[in-house]
Amino acid sequence: MATDAGVLLAQATGIALQAHALSKRFGRKVALDAVDLTVPAGSVTALVGPNGAGKTTLIRVCMAFERPNGGMVEVDGVDPWKHRSEALRRVGYVPQTPAVYRGLDVDDHLAMARSLHSGFDAEYARKRLNQLGIPLDQRADTLSGGQAAQLGLAIALGTRAKVLLLDEPLANLDPLARREFIQVLIDAVKSDGSTALLSSHIVTDVEEACDRLVILGAGKVLLDCPLEEARQAHRLTDSKSPPPGGVAVGSFAGKGLTRLTLWRVPADAGDGAWAATEPASLEEVVLGYLAAGRGTTGLQLN
Amino acid sequence: MLDRVRLTYKQQRFETLAVAVMCLGAAAWALLASWHLNSVGVPASCLVDGGVPYWNGPSNASWIPAVCQLPSQRFTEALTSLDVGLASSLGDVLPFFVGIAMGVPLVARELEQGTAPLSWSLAGARWKWLAGRILAALLLIVPLLLIAGLAADVLRGAQERGIDLHASFHYFTSRGVFLVLWGVAALMGSVALGALLGRTMPVVVVALIVCLFARAAWEPLTDRYLLHGMAVLEMPGVQSPGELLVYQSDVLYLDGKVYTGTDCWVSNGVPGCQYGPGDEPDPSSIGPQLAWYVITGDHYWQVVALESAIMLAGSAALGALALFWVGRRRPY
Repeated sequence: MATDAGVLLAQATGIALQAHALSKRFGRKVALDAVDLTVPAGSVTALVGPNGAGKTTLIRVCMAFERPNGGMVEVDGVDPWKHRSEALRRVGYVPQTPAVYRGLDVDDHLAMARSLHSGFDAEYARKRLNQLGIPLDQRADTLSGGQAAQLGLAIALGTRAKVLLLDEPLANLDPLARREFIQVLIDAVKSDGSTALLSSHIVTDVEEACDRLVILGAGKVLLDCPLEEARQAHRLTDSKSPPPGGVAVGSFAGKGLTRLTLWRVPADAGDGAWAATEPASLEEVVLGYLAAGRGTTGLQLN
Repeated sequence: MLDRVRLTYKQQRFETLAVAVMCLGAAAWALLASWHLNSVGVPASCLVDGGVPYWNGPSNASWIPAVCQLPSQRFTEALTSLDVGLASSLGDVLPFFVGIAMGVPLVARELEQGTAPLSWSLAGARWKWLAGRILAALLLIVPLLLIAGLAADVLRGAQERGIDLHASFHYFTSRGVFLVLWGVAALMGSVALGALLGRTMPVVVVALIVCLFARAAWEPLTDRYLLHGMAVLEMPGVQSPGELLVYQSDVLYLDGKVYTGTDCWVSNGVPGCQYGPGDEPDPSSIGPQLAWYVITGDHYWQVVALESAIMLAGSAALGALALFWVGRRRPY
């Protein structure tokens, strides 16, 4: 098959998802602007950015819901637009809004997934839902938002897909439901050895779940690195003078409207060189890069 | 596959129930109307050319034998009663309601309610997803419409005593297997429109308009362009449409088909139209109708096969369009 070489290459290189110069336009609006992205197999990658950054579009391109205008994307070595069936067999998808059928109960959803996806493991999905205390005979339209999101996740996990694409599944959940969702996701990814790309605009939610961070702003990848590196390699100051060796990323208004600047620290710099500076939180790292993407105004810490 | 069929019905439980009630209700109604007509008990000796003479009132019925006047009157009253009239017109609308009711939600509602991304992410090949849903709809509507169509046949047989239903073109596209064919066409058209437009209400409105036009245009178009080549008898002296004037009559039925539906028949190879004494229509009020060819009733199955093949091909084309477009479109 045409996809075999790509799959073997993806397995050999340990890359679950990659995009190169990926572009997508809607009329004049550029949603993805030459995006380069690499998601290593086995990672949980946070795809962070403000509304309109292109997160959903990126995931939709990976799902073959949107046709890219340029560049390439491969999911587990398979181009989703050219080989949709092959690609979708490798992907579990959780949409932004919980997509449930009003007239069907929870177990019907699993039966439907099994009838559509030959590799769907209904027992596995049932087990996960049972652990969460979600009744299988409950009508899906009577589920709470958190339960509906869990149903969506259980369906995605039931596909036993190598790659999970989660399109802001936490956006409409309360804090407790968000925490539960993330716990289930972490547990499943660890036990199944799959890869997850979790998009969100709530940084604190993904911080505990992810080991990699991709910041998307105005359709461009602004940062793509391991989460730990994002924390270690950035400092925050309220001074405009650059610390030795530091590269300014972006400035934004902090609490009390203090102007804060995010600096990228050289990888080989010891703690001593930056002793006078404050370590940046992940949210501040994100804000710094988004400020750089937009210009330096208009962003403020909560 | 069984799961998919079951879940399609469950997702569309209202439409499924409504379609079943509509079809079985229409069939029951048609059978009751037939019983109503048959209960009049018109003697066979009163039939004229296989039909019950139409009772136009005492002044115009002098040509009906006296012993047949009362049965004719009672039969005509039953024939023009509201329940028989409505039952006989159900065949014209039922398949469209059924096809649209089952077809619109298959794609349009999925897109409208935001469930298509879930289904399409699970089904690698979207055409398989849609084909399964269409199959479920067909498994429901084909037998139900066939029941309704056969009941409409029974009703037509009761309305036109002595008629050979399988050799008469009278209302033949509003009964029998044609109800199934119209329903399948409406289903496929609704699915295709749903895939194109992606919203339920606009699809319902457009589908109703398209079905109305298709139904109204079908017979004139098939008469003019499809069946003319099958004519076994050209009207004498007629070289082209418009050269022979034939007057419309509702009394006698042709064992064949005449362009414009004019009620004439072929006797000893000569087409003609007859009227009871004093029953000739007034050309100034009815207006002349044009006839230019005749297809006799022994070509019934040939005509049915030809029209069925065209309707099925059209339905298949609409289905293929839906499958193609679902494969290309966005799931929202």
